[in-house]
Amino acid sequence: MAKPKSAKPQANIAFEEIEHTADWALRIQGQDLRQLLLNAARGMSSLLVADLADVPATREEQLEIEAYDAESLLVNWLSELAYRAEVEGIVFAEFDLSRVTPTHLQAAVRGGHVSDLQKHIKAVTYHNLEIIKTDRGLEATVVFDV
Amino acid sequence: MVSQSDFKQIDKYVYEIPQSFRADMRVPARFYADPDLLENMLGDKSLEQLANTATLPGVVNYALAMPDIHQGYGFPIGGVVATAWPDGVISPGGVGYDINCGVRLLATHLHQQEVAPYLNDLATMLYHHCPSGVGKGGHVKLKPGELERLVETGARWALKRGFATEEDLVRTEENGCIEGADAGLVSERAKKRGQDQVGTLGAGNHFIEVDEVDEVFDETAAQRTGLFPGQVVVQIHCGSRGFGHQICSDYVNRFQKVIHQYGITLPDRELVCAPLSSPAGQDYLAAMKAAANYAFANRQVLTYHIRRSFEEVLAGKVKNHHVYQVYDIAHNMAKIEEHESQGRKIKVCVHRKGATRAFGPGSPVLPGVYRDIGQPVLVPGSMGTASWVLLGTEGSMNQTFGSTCHGAGRMMSRSKAKKTVWGAELREELEAGGIHVRAGSMAGLAEEAPLAYKDVDKVVEVVHGAGIAKKVARLVPIAVIKG
Repeated sequence: MAKPKSAKPQANIAFEEIEHTADWALRIQGQDLRQLLLNAARGMSSLLVADLADVPATREEQLEIEAYDAESLLVNWLSELAYRAEVEGIVFAEFDLSRVTPTHLQAAVRGGHVSDLQKHIKAVTYHNLEIIKTDRGLEATVVFDV
Repeated sequence: MVSQSDFKQIDKYVYEIPQSFRADMRVPARFYADPDLLENMLGDKSLEQLANTATLPGVVNYALAMPDIHQGYGFPIGGVVATAWPDGVISPGGVGYDINCGVRLLATHLHQQEVAPYLNDLATMLYHHCPSGVGKGGHVKLKPGELERLVETGARWALKRGFATEEDLVRTEENGCIEGADAGLVSERAKKRGQDQVGTLGAGNHFIEVDEVDEVFDETAAQRTGLFPGQVVVQIHCGSRGFGHQICSDYVNRFQKVIHQYGITLPDRELVCAPLSSPAGQDYLAAMKAAANYAFANRQVLTYHIRRSFEEVLAGKVKNHHVYQVYDIAHNMAKIEEHESQGRKIKVCVHRKGATRAFGPGSPVLPGVYRDIGQPVLVPGSMGTASWVLLGTEGSMNQTFGSTCHGAGRMMSRSKAKKTVWGAELREELEAGGIHVRAGSMAGLAEEAPLAYKDVDKVVEVVHGAGIAKKVARLVPIAVIKG
């Protein structure tokens, strides 16, 4: 039986699947906003494919996201990646984020075409979405409509 | 969390959380339940979410929840909220991401025994002709500009393209087209997502199900709908696919900023809203209607493929393989309707998120064949369990803005269902119970296991007992097609 996914790219930094009656949710942590956005993207991509290491690195793109505030930035960023997965079948597995502010981010993303997505993320919701400060940095829980 | 001491029972199946429960509630919150369903409700945050909906500006009478309520995001799934026109708000979250996710019931003139020898082939043919699953495109190729016509005319587009009959449209909520849809208020991204998904089922809880009529409870209504015990019928459960999801996402995002112009504060950002009369509110309404029309067209094209499947498998083998439409209803929609409030008729926007319009006898919007008995209501169960055909009643008009339940209601998360059930084992169990299963994903099948849902029969007992719907027929599955 598959265990819920979680990852610790750095000490005390993680994303993990959590229970939600209707859909799927991820609790994400990061030392700062840049890392929170990075972990959110990795977490969501790990819902789309069984193993991020299997995603081919055949595409590199520059993305720029604008938003009303930090929570909207998180939603718009993940929505962009979910859209690319649905419409083009492209999953990104590596993310270099630069120029991150609460209303703007630039990112270089690398990934490739995945023929068999294991999950279809139809929307990224604002449900109870709040980026909160913790003693380890920032934390947010994102609920996906699947 | 809402606890037992926070609400009172006001009737056998009706409970109320008073307005005094929270300072930000503008009206009380009412919900329908029996003791078992009540226990389910107290196990998640659905009642707290119901109380949240009672804070929406312009909410009329009370926020409502049906007995199949479960935790959603923003609104609970199973929620009904009416807001006053024109100064009340419209909330995209009160409609949901899958705008006009709904159910269509088709019926045949065949008895289950006539179809049994061919059921395996029929299930395979339905799976082949009705694209389903993650990222699956449809057979319909739209010419440039055709998507815009489709979303502004809904099932009428399907009629022109040869996918529908006049009778299908008459037996569809809103005749398969909500007037006032505007493709110009839909993003390019939504159009791109919708371009190749017309006539597709999608994944998740969507399905095509071949059922047998198990029992009839109302002879008059059964005759009018043509239903009889042992009859083979087909349900389609799906919505507006990526097109509707993108419209909801776009407007939830736009409203995050708009809400501050009107000084509205809410307990959950997913509840964002704008006054119905505001430019943003009007834009959303017109875009939502476009998604609703997309869904009507989508179910209509699937109907065409179902008819084709029946013909290819059964022509020459049975006397009559004709498939006709009983009705098609929306489960996720906001509609401008007239309802009585405190003894006078008022215009309201009824948000139904995971709830069904259930207009009673005499409603002028119903087709002639159903006008004197009330609107057919279609309540799908979960795989392996029953589904129901009900009718709208005077009670639903008086108590719930012409609304009733929409299904069984989840009670277990998808991840927990996947940990509890193996998809392949579930398929074997269903097959052993005489249900033919065609599914593209065993994990997806496990997520939708019957044990993840409440007992649909109990839900129906509550709405029937409370008088907000009336039993017509119970259906049991004999073939399930899923993505």
